[in-house]
Amino acid sequence: MSLQNNAAVVVRDLHRHYGKRIVIEGLNLRIEPGEFVAMLGESGCGKTTLLRALAGLDPVDGGSIDGPAQPAVVFQEHRLLPWAPLWQNVALGMDTAEGKAKAIAALQEVGLGGRENDWPRNLSGGQAQRVALARALVREPSLLLLDEPFAALDALTRIKMHELIKDLVALHRPGVLLVTHDVDEAIALADRILVMRGGRIASTYEVAAETESGPQSLRHKLLGQLGVTLHERAA
Amino acid sequence: MTLETSLSSGPTLRSSRSSGLIDTRSHRALRDSELLALSWLAPLLLVVAWELAAHLGWIRPQVLPAPSTVVATAWKLLANGTLFEHLGYSMLRAAIGFAIGGSIGFALGILVGFSRLAEALLDRSIQMIRAIPFLALLPLVIVWFGVDEAGKIFLVSLAVMFPIYINTVLGIRQIDLKLLELAKVTGLSLRGRITKIILPGALPSILTGVRYALAVAWLALVIAETIATTKGIGFLAMDAREFLQTNVIVLTIVIYAAIGVLADSAARALERRLLAWHPNYAKGERR
Ligand SMILES: Nc1ncnc2c1ncn2[C@@H]1O[C@H](COP(=O)(O)OP(=O)(O)OP(=O)(O)O)[C@@H](O)[C@H]1O
Ligand SMILES: [Mg+2]
Repeated sequence: MSLQNNAAVVVRDLHRHYGKRIVIEGLNLRIEPGEFVAMLGESGCGKTTLLRALAGLDPVDGGSIDGPAQPAVVFQEHRLLPWAPLWQNVALGMDTAEGKAKAIAALQEVGLGGRENDWPRNLSGGQAQRVALARALVREPSLLLLDEPFAALDALTRIKMHELIKDLVALHRPGVLLVTHDVDEAIALADRILVMRGGRIASTYEVAAETESGPQSLRHKLLGQLGVTLHERAA
Repeated sequence: MTLETSLSSGPTLRSSRSSGLIDTRSHRALRDSELLALSWLAPLLLVVAWELAAHLGWIRPQVLPAPSTVVATAWKLLANGTLFEHLGYSMLRAAIGFAIGGSIGFALGILVGFSRLAEALLDRSIQMIRAIPFLALLPLVIVWFGVDEAGKIFLVSLAVMFPIYINTVLGIRQIDLKLLELAKVTGLSLRGRITKIILPGALPSILTGVRYALAVAWLALVIAETIATTKGIGFLAMDAREFLQTNVIVLTIVIYAAIGVLADSAARALERRLLAWHPNYAKGERR
């Protein structure tokens, strides 16, 4: 697969349907290397479907995806193998000799240094999700796909995870597509925010430009796009 | 870096928690040991009562010998070596039968677990054979194999095969599809998929099968050794019956039971070792 102009991924006119239900209809998307893209959209609008197609987990019914053969994915659940110690979970699918050293380093990076021989069941939800992140990043992917990876975490842990992922993405510079329901999360993390509706990208916001006048107006716009109208508090 | 401060779990929190754990654990250990002692009380009292009843002549020795008589018999047979010889034969039969039946059951289980085609071809036949009551096969086995070792080993193998087969299939089928998706996104090879995801995932179920298999292997052996034979614990029992030696008969029963218990605890030890990752089998580790 040739990557057009070195983009992390290029999606052209993508179509996906389950039986008669059309989920993705003519979707176009381009993510640059090192670019952090967040995707919002109402529940059931096809975000996971798009992500799974990008990950190569599902076939496409039309259009093309021009991206790496092996993007890294973090799912909403950590999906750690309960029978493998943490380092083996991180090194899954890698050559064992160099895999272990890299896995230990990756665990260090996500703040779990020294826990490499521990079992997954001894981890908290946030720690487990950090291991899943280490597992994704240890492969040095050019494209990182995140499907609501922080949704199951408590608010405080989530904020810490935001800091962590920001640092790690700045360090490794993969193209990132983050699916989330959290408007504030999208604003905090992304360079660009997409809203998906009707099987395609309905609107795009460049975060840096939009937040020049403060993040509140972007927040209102996004919520409006998602069908939430906020009553302006009387000043 | 900010990570260090924001993500490392506070050391004070952890140490205070673990000391709390040790406290509760020592409390529980005490109670556990008391319960263990208590659980042995009833069987012990029973043996003492039995011994007394035999000594007072309430139970005739031809019906049930005193425990001390059984122990004396065991000692005598141990001293002249006969017990070891017969025990050796029985163990060997069980081991060979277990190895053969276990391998066949495991191989069939893997095949059927992985392939819907193999399931369509094999599973119904296997289930039909399984439905046959074991004892109904006995005359046929004698006709086929005579009263040789082969027939006995056949019976044990057959008994062992089914629990291993069923639990291997079940274990493979129960594997979380989400983990297999993970294999896809991490680029795991087919071999890696089998050795890192499918077999370890199926292992708890397979080991349950092994425990069942050990129990039925022993049962099959008891039946198999009632077929004319000159060696083995079963022979010892049959021979003693001829001469109404209840002490030897009881001894063989005790030996069968003891080996059954030993085999089961060996299987449990294996589970604890191989399934250390599993919360249900974890020992001495914090949950
Ligand atoms: N395997 C499937 N078979 C049939 N329909 C499906 C399947 N998976 C998803 N769908 C449908 O496709 C649509 C899009 O689903 P998808 O999971 O992509 O939504 P989503 O945007 O990720 O929603 P959420 O925000 O709730 O996770 C939904 O209407 C869903 O019912
Ligand atoms: Mg989804």
